[in-house]
Amino acid sequence: MTDAAALSRPSGAGRYLGVLARYGIVWITVALFVLLAVTTDGFLTGPNLRNVLDQQATLLIAASVATLTMIAGGFDVSISAVAVAAPLVALRVENATGSVAVALLAGCAFGLAVGATNGAIVAFARINSFITTLATSFIVFGIGYVVSGRSIMRPSSDSFRAIARTRVAELTTATWISLAVVLVAWITLAGTRFGRHVYATGGNAEAARLAGVRTRQIVVAVFALSGLAAGLAGVVAASRTISATPSDDFSFVFGVIAAIVVGGTSIAGGTGAVWRTLLGAFFIAFMVNGFNLHQIDPIWQRIIQGLVILAAVAADAWSRARRS
Amino acid sequence: MAAPRPGEPAQVELTHIELREVSKRFGSTQAVDCVDIVIRRGCIHALVGENGAGKSTVGKIIAGVHTADSGAVIVNGRPCRFRSPRQAFAAGITIITQELALVPDRTVADNVFLGVESTRWGFVARRDTRRRFEALVEHTGIPIDPDASVGSLGVAEQQRVEILRAAARRSEFVIMDEPTARLSAQERDQLHLLVRSLRDHQITVLFISHFLDEVLDLADDITVMRDGRVVRNTRPSSETTGSLVEAMIGRQLQGSFPSRPPRPDQSQDPVLSVRGLVTACSGGLTPTGLAGESASAETPLVAGLDLDVFPGEIVGIAGLVGSGRTEFVRCVYGADRPVAGDVQVAGGGASRLQPHGSIGAGVGLIPESRKEQGLLMERSLRENIALPHLRQITRAGLVARRSENDLVSASAAGAGVRGGGLETPVRLLSGGNQQKALFARWLTPGLRVLIADEPTRGVDVGSKRSIYDLIAAAAGGGLAVLLVSSELEELVGLCHRVLVMREGRFVAEFAHPDLDETQILRHSFGEEATAGRSS
Ligand SMILES: Nc1ncnc2c1ncn2[C@@H]1O[C@H](COP(=O)(O)OP(=O)(O)OP(=O)(O)O)[C@@H](O)[C@H]1O
Ligand SMILES: [Mg+2]
Repeated sequence: MTDAAALSRPSGAGRYLGVLARYGIVWITVALFVLLAVTTDGFLTGPNLRNVLDQQATLLIAASVATLTMIAGGFDVSISAVAVAAPLVALRVENATGSVAVALLAGCAFGLAVGATNGAIVAFARINSFITTLATSFIVFGIGYVVSGRSIMRPSSDSFRAIARTRVAELTTATWISLAVVLVAWITLAGTRFGRHVYATGGNAEAARLAGVRTRQIVVAVFALSGLAAGLAGVVAASRTISATPSDDFSFVFGVIAAIVVGGTSIAGGTGAVWRTLLGAFFIAFMVNGFNLHQIDPIWQRIIQGLVILAAVAADAWSRARRS
Repeated sequence: MAAPRPGEPAQVELTHIELREVSKRFGSTQAVDCVDIVIRRGCIHALVGENGAGKSTVGKIIAGVHTADSGAVIVNGRPCRFRSPRQAFAAGITIITQELALVPDRTVADNVFLGVESTRWGFVARRDTRRRFEALVEHTGIPIDPDASVGSLGVAEQQRVEILRAAARRSEFVIMDEPTARLSAQERDQLHLLVRSLRDHQITVLFISHFLDEVLDLADDITVMRDGRVVRNTRPSSETTGSLVEAMIGRQLQGSFPSRPPRPDQSQDPVLSVRGLVTACSGGLTPTGLAGESASAETPLVAGLDLDVFPGEIVGIAGLVGSGRTEFVRCVYGADRPVAGDVQVAGGGASRLQPHGSIGAGVGLIPESRKEQGLLMERSLRENIALPHLRQITRAGLVARRSENDLVSASAAGAGVRGGGLETPVRLLSGGNQQKALFARWLTPGLRVLIADEPTRGVDVGSKRSIYDLIAAAAGGGLAVLLVSSELEELVGLCHRVLVMREGRFVAEFAHPDLDETQILRHSFGEEATAGRSS
């Protein structure tokens, strides 16, 4: 019974606004696409769209899986650190063994291990997930420097680039990998028992537990999967650039969270969807692509992007307040 | 209709609030349909009706939580159109909702004066606050520690905080939405005294309740609603519980309870057996660490209890709030870990300490609080009912939607959940229908033991009877039921056997032909307390 409740007046126009808000990301993504297609030369061309898909690959791999973490009520900021350190681990292995497959596995296994550790700390030591993953981020960034000897790493053979840059039916393997990950995450969340348990855990952990959901296992699992996906994303990114550099750069996870939140998945947990993240990512990607085609100053691009994220979160808070 | 002038002696027959042809629609649901109600100043006006009849919605319209689609709300002779609870506050109207709305981490005094703090140069003036609080306690006669943290209080005390808050805002009109639903019998008596004292202070009370005896005893006026409409405006002197029920549900109810299934043979093996159970925790810890933490005090609540429940038996547990009833059944279910003791479900094999193990062995729990422990408010009715049964309906790794819909629609219909389809988020259901959804969850074949903690809280008389019918029928088919209830009538009317708990122990046991409310009550209080409770 707060001021928020005062907003709960879904009469007349409010009802339509409700539907609009609910599927808002669909309408605005479609609208933006059409707008750019009509107004911008070079947008609606095969090479440009394929390029957008290729550029979004790493973000989509991480974000579609991180959506599950967010819906389960967790917040994983270690995605950046894993995406930086996992390819360094992978290249270290590649340099030693010469095997691309083993390198890829090593990178993913590293991400999985970091994620599982995060999940275990959150579920069993009961430390807030944002704090936990912030702390492990620093450790993992540090591991990246140790593994690489503080310098840029390159693969010993050219075949490492094949992971991301092979072309199959006009699209890069990076794109195919990302689409596969999105599909798997989507089906897992929407169709399986595990997915239902993810929603239940984030919606009301105590109620979920009493209904037989092993909430701790769910928490460990979503963080482990998110780590795995971040590791894969890092290796794919390294394969695209044929190198990996140690850093303390947190920016990747911000892009990931932006895509999830703009899509309409709630940071409060319990509601959301992978298709939303897919649309959120492409909304941002189209926007940036449009800016670039119109040669808008990158400084303004940032400001506008920030405003869009704020608007998305505000829309979420607004629709939440209407229902209380 | 003249507005009362301040200082004018109160006239009993003066209209305080009038609703004229008020309607409110939510999506396809006409929640309130052309309602006319006249509420007299300084009276207790009761609002009764089935679950989903629109009672809460009427309360919320008066309190500015919802705005009516059409019609007029006339306060003190002036038409008002509140757009927020704040505006209603300003007009002297406070609502105490079905789910209490307090800030758990703040003190009683902070909550009472929230929004109307005494300040001096922008700082909260502590001494002045204390003085005001004492004045308020004296005025209302509600004794309560101003420095206690609200989260540590029981439901009854939290409710008093809300009443004090209404008094602090000098409200003249208080809406109480099912205030007694979550109270024990003696707390209920105390609340009745309080409501009457509000009336003595010329405060008007709109009192929503499913307890018709209470309504007949307490109210000056009664409005009966059905399907969003007013069936009749009446007075207690011209009604009986029977006539009210008939007005509410449109038919007569043949007795409140079904006939008991035959008492099962006690020489066979029990389906549930508990040995030496000792609990230490008071429950409610967040299990994942994702949300904020609150450490619970480690006081032993239940000491060395034994219990056998046989297939087809309905066993009741009576006792006061805090006697350890809830802690006991939570431990039996595996929701909390016992310090010592053993729980065996026939054929369940190894000891189980977790809810998922209990469910696997055929045990279900209806927890005490539907909002905190029962339902996923944002998710659909379908997902809420299916949640514990997903394993049975998973094919090739995916939840089979058709089996799910079959399972869920059968359960929801069986429990009589109304007010939305299977895809409706449960938060949109009325309070009683949410409770029925929780019941529906366990209305599935294969259940062997049902543990129900206050399963009919907030459920209307007609639906209560159908829930009792379902319990009796299921017991007839071999289900063992462990029923915790503050409604002695329910225990006496339904159970084969009732155990009375006091201070974490079973102090008495009664079996069917000898079940007696007074006896149960006496043992709940203990001898000394009974002597002192002659009012
Ligand atoms: N915010 C809402 N959105 C959609 N439907 C609603 C909303 N609030 C109430 N309803 C619907 O309106 C109807 C009346 O609900 P209301 O809560 O007023 O019932 P009630 O008489 O208080 O019932 P109960 O005894 O179960 O508390 C129900 O069918 C309910 O599902
Ligand atoms: Mg209600």
